[in-house]
Amino acid sequence: MSVDDALAAFEEEAREMLTEMESSLLAIEGGGTDPGLINAIFRAAHTIKGTAGMFGQDGVVSFTHHVETVMDDARKGKLTVSSDLVTLMLRCCDHMGFLVGEGLGRETRGEEEAAREKVLLEGLMSFVGGDEAVARRAAKGADAVQGASTAAASEPAVAASNSDGDGGDTGTPDGWHVRVRFGSKVMREGMDPLAFIRYLSTQGTINWIRSELLNLGAPEAFDPENCYIATELVISGGIEEPTIRAVFDFIADQCELTVEPCSTAWLTESRRFPAQTPEPAAAASTASEPAPEPTPAPPPAQVVASPAEAVPVTSGGDDGGARRGGGVPAAAAGKGGESRFLRVEAEKLDQLINLIGELVIAGAYSSLIAQRLRDGEMLEAISTVTGLVESLRDTALNLRMVPIGATFTRFQRVVRDLSAELGKDVDLQISGADTELDKSVVEKISDPLTHLVRNSLDHGLETRERRIEAGKSTVGTLQLHAYHDSGSIVIEVADDGGGLNADKIRAKAVERGLISPGATLTTREINNLIFEPGFSTADAVTNISGRGVGMDVVKQNILSLRGTIDIESEPGVGTLTRIRLPLTLAIIDGFLVNVAGGAFVVPLSMIVECLDLRRDDIETASGRNYVNLRGKVLPFVRLRDVFEKNDGVQRRENIVVVNYAGRMAGLVVDELVGDFQTVIKPLGPLFKMVRGISGSTILGSGEVALILDVPSLIDLATRIEHHESDRVERTTL
Amino acid sequence: MNAAVDGSRLRAVQGQYLTFYLNEETFGLSILCIKEIVEYSRLTSVPQMPRFVEGVINLRGHVVPVINLALRLGKEPAPPQKRTCIVIIEINFEGATADVGVVVDSVSEVLDVSGADIEPAPGFGARLRAEFIAGMARLGSAFVILIDAERVLSISEMASLAITASELNGFTVGGSD
Repeated sequence: MSVDDALAAFEEEAREMLTEMESSLLAIEGGGTDPGLINAIFRAAHTIKGTAGMFGQDGVVSFTHHVETVMDDARKGKLTVSSDLVTLMLRCCDHMGFLVGEGLGRETRGEEEAAREKVLLEGLMSFVGGDEAVARRAAKGADAVQGASTAAASEPAVAASNSDGDGGDTGTPDGWHVRVRFGSKVMREGMDPLAFIRYLSTQGTINWIRSELLNLGAPEAFDPENCYIATELVISGGIEEPTIRAVFDFIADQCELTVEPCSTAWLTESRRFPAQTPEPAAAASTASEPAPEPTPAPPPAQVVASPAEAVPVTSGGDDGGARRGGGVPAAAAGKGGESRFLRVEAEKLDQLINLIGELVIAGAYSSLIAQRLRDGEMLEAISTVTGLVESLRDTALNLRMVPIGATFTRFQRVVRDLSAELGKDVDLQISGADTELDKSVVEKISDPLTHLVRNSLDHGLETRERRIEAGKSTVGTLQLHAYHDSGSIVIEVADDGGGLNADKIRAKAVERGLISPGATLTTREINNLIFEPGFSTADAVTNISGRGVGMDVVKQNILSLRGTIDIESEPGVGTLTRIRLPLTLAIIDGFLVNVAGGAFVVPLSMIVECLDLRRDDIETASGRNYVNLRGKVLPFVRLRDVFEKNDGVQRRENIVVVNYAGRMAGLVVDELVGDFQTVIKPLGPLFKMVRGISGSTILGSGEVALILDVPSLIDLATRIEHHESDRVERTTL
Repeated sequence: MNAAVDGSRLRAVQGQYLTFYLNEETFGLSILCIKEIVEYSRLTSVPQMPRFVEGVINLRGHVVPVINLALRLGKEPAPPQKRTCIVIIEINFEGATADVGVVVDSVSEVLDVSGADIEPAPGFGARLRAEFIAGMARLGSAFVILIDAERVLSISEMASLAITASELNGFTVGGSD
């Protein structure tokens, strides 16, 4: 694994952890009291910090450390998780996301980010030390000020020059975290590192101390006269930063000193020196320095983490977490999660499915041969194999299935933030979170869904005042619902807002020239006009939605997934958008037809019926491309003409009646072969301009059949017809 | 074929070349880009493509486009016969490799060609787009044109030709009138 791969894995994992943190936070905010949630947040922060450390992502490490500290208190019951804390933590999550990106060079820090980090750190500081410390700080840090001046007064001459006695900032944390790395010549120059520490201990109370040997290097390079010691300690008792710095004045040019405010509550967490040694092992070898105060042993959290925490989470990512079903996903990733899920590279899975696709084809070919041979025993054996292959295929496809819950859960955050921004109270209700669909569909559905949710929040749900006027509850409801329905998955986004204003949409559509003023349309048809390009009825463009580029893009996205979208709305009651998608993109239920010797597949979901194309039907239409289908006009497309595949042979023809976006059309083909389930193969970049064909598939005979793209095929036929009639007009003029 | 990227005329280097026939003329192709040779089986033609795109075949579960090399090089193709076969070639496309098949009348042999035997492509006279020729290999008294597969089978160029072809037929999105 190269460094780049490892970094990519780190990023993916960090993002997953952040998602997990976020959903746990939201679950807590939503009233979840499961201690597992807080644990999950802590563990996520801890894992991010740990892995970031391995990759030298110092920005992530130092920030996350503070998050972790606060969550640790919460985990131990010292800190109550208030809604303020949740809000702060959510913002911290966002910032950590930024830091991860920054560490990978993907984002750059501007003033805004720097300021944000500062605010967040201050926010975190205010929670440090648990409830007691928070309360104490709120009461005022007067003690600290007093203590500081006492210490300064009793100070011997060494420190006097540099100390300024008044330094009493309000809000001083109750201690200092001091890290000192002694220069290698310190001892040669007659200074004893211990003396400084001992002296420091007279200035305040050293709550915790720890020393390390740094830069030891190879044994033969070891010089007993060199100093390799670095020490960190937490000192409290009203001492001030200048006092501490003054202690080390003598060796100021020979040591690296950092003094940071901290609370003594930090003692629960060990801090390490940034490893600068070439061999990290050297930095890790810890030596205890005799310390004046009884020191608590270095806390084990980081050094000897429990196996579950030390292993940089190998499983139970977003899919795993969500398998428990929407509500408390993070908790599921907890105990024992490792053994239940296995992280597999998507490519390997694709390869498996490809191979199984081939196996299906090869199996079909052998059964073809067996039938030709008419060998009973052989036929029996083959049919067993075919059965097994089919169940193998179903199992393999099932591997790619993930519950939609993870996608839904993401919207809790969107809804939370947006409703706050818009000043609306919104209750998000999620149901059917464990409905499964293909991973590749899940990935592609997220954007359109976000758009629909935003739309519902922004335009659908009314403001509090309007809702009161309308006699509704002040809290709006937004529902996300998923379920399986005859081989497809249905996702519904529903709100109980004002609904669509059909008159307004109609007026707008007329204005935009989408419909003629006299057109008779059902309410449903009018409502679905909002999916037309360039349509937006929002009076004001907000930064949330309303630029009029949204809904048609949503529709395009859904269509490209071979799905459909439909909107239902009742004024004053609400709007429901229903998306219907195939369960998988890899498999299609197709209907095989022949046209001039070539095999084509029509998606079965679009087919309404198949008819004979009778000669007298054509003659009645006198050369025009439509037939009478039980009293209705059915326009048809001759695939021979569209694909210019005329071999001159006249056969009996059939019409496949397809229903596309509520319109009926006929496809004229030579021969109807039958329906079958088939693996879709993309045609590749060379054929990306081909219209009317969406992909290909391999038949049992090994032959390649092309899959028809019905909407674009009808579009294509329309264009050809226009083109020809134009040409005719021009020649007659 | 690192030599294929520099702009000089002579892009062929010494190495092994597969020779094959296209309508009674011999051509060579570096074996480094050749994946395999398969039987010429039934192709599925794809509508709206230029004539030189014969169609697609199923190569062990992968759908691979097949190019009629003679047509692509501007020659009249010979009708398919028993020895007609498809050479599967790996082409770089947008940072990845893509398989493309080319129809040839028959394959002949793999030759070791030394650097001294390779001449740059003539500026004219080969009656072939000069950039398609990686070099000319001297074989006794005759020359064999070494084909630059990356350029002849450039997917982006062929796809753009497909666009032009469909435009001519009036199939473009905006209509061509």
